[in-house]
Amino acid sequence: MATNDTPASELLNVQVVHLLSGVSAHGDQHLAEVERDLVQMDVLLDEAIKKLCASFMAIHHAVDQQQETLDGLLADGMPSPASAARFEALRDEIKQHVAAAVTGLQFQDMTSQLIGRMVQHLAGLRDVFGALDTNGSVLPESKKEVLLETLSHISDRVGACRTERAGGVRSTVNQRHMDSGDIELF
Amino acid sequence: MMKTILAVDDSGSLRQMLSFSLKAAGYGVIEAVDGQDGLNKAKLQTVDLVLTDQNMPGMDGLTLIKALRALKNYKDVPILMLTTESGDDIKAMGRAAGANGWLVKPFDPARLTEVVKKLIG
Repeated sequence: MATNDTPASELLNVQVVHLLSGVSAHGDQHLAEVERDLVQMDVLLDEAIKKLCASFMAIHHAVDQQQETLDGLLADGMPSPASAARFEALRDEIKQHVAAAVTGLQFQDMTSQLIGRMVQHLAGLRDVFGALDTNGSVLPESKKEVLLETLSHISDRVGACRTERAGGVRSTVNQRHMDSGDIELF
Repeated sequence: MMKTILAVDDSGSLRQMLSFSLKAAGYGVIEAVDGQDGLNKAKLQTVDLVLTDQNMPGMDGLTLIKALRALKNYKDVPILMLTTESGDDIKAMGRAAGANGWLVKPFDPARLTEVVKKLIG
């Protein structure tokens, strides 16, 4: 019986080790790619928001100066009531657009938090894939007990990964639109 | 005399938008990049109101509020949380820590300044 059981166990052991190593290597490789892309996206978003904010401030400053010039012209001359009303309406319209832009430009704060969270989860998954790796070891014995012991160690390592990461991931961002949020005074 | 607000957030763009909105409404603004930086700056100069994010590296918003409330000068200074979080549990924790209000991001400049004006004039 033992002679029949041994080759099957050996084959099983080899297959399990091969499977675990394959999952570990491929998983790690794919996650590393995703992580790199996310970090790159975060860098691009960060630069984009800096440029957008700088442009926004410059436009706002220019519009302010233009408004002052217009106010001076209106004070010196005698604008028609229609023109004065039109300038007033434009001033209000610009204020609304500026307020909307300030709300919209906060997107990077939220997307950056989400990307940071994804990177944390990816790091957690990479830890798990790392824990699955048998480091290419060939199980020295053909007995099932050795395989079971190896699997038990892997299971412990995966469990340790979960414990290490628990509580380390920041809260998610639940906003689904860029309208202003609720305000509550205590 | 110009009222001063301490704006604490780890996002540079958010701080810039906060600063822009509050300065446009006539307030002075001191920026801090995280809770510890906020606490340090609050100790250097007692401000009229504190606006803080919750999730920041190092010291978070709740910890900052507790630390500020432990300071004699900050027993009665209004503190507002401005965060992406809106759960009842975290709000209750904020209230227990000593926050006076909870604002969910993103903020609208007019609504923000309205709340600030209500608290410090």
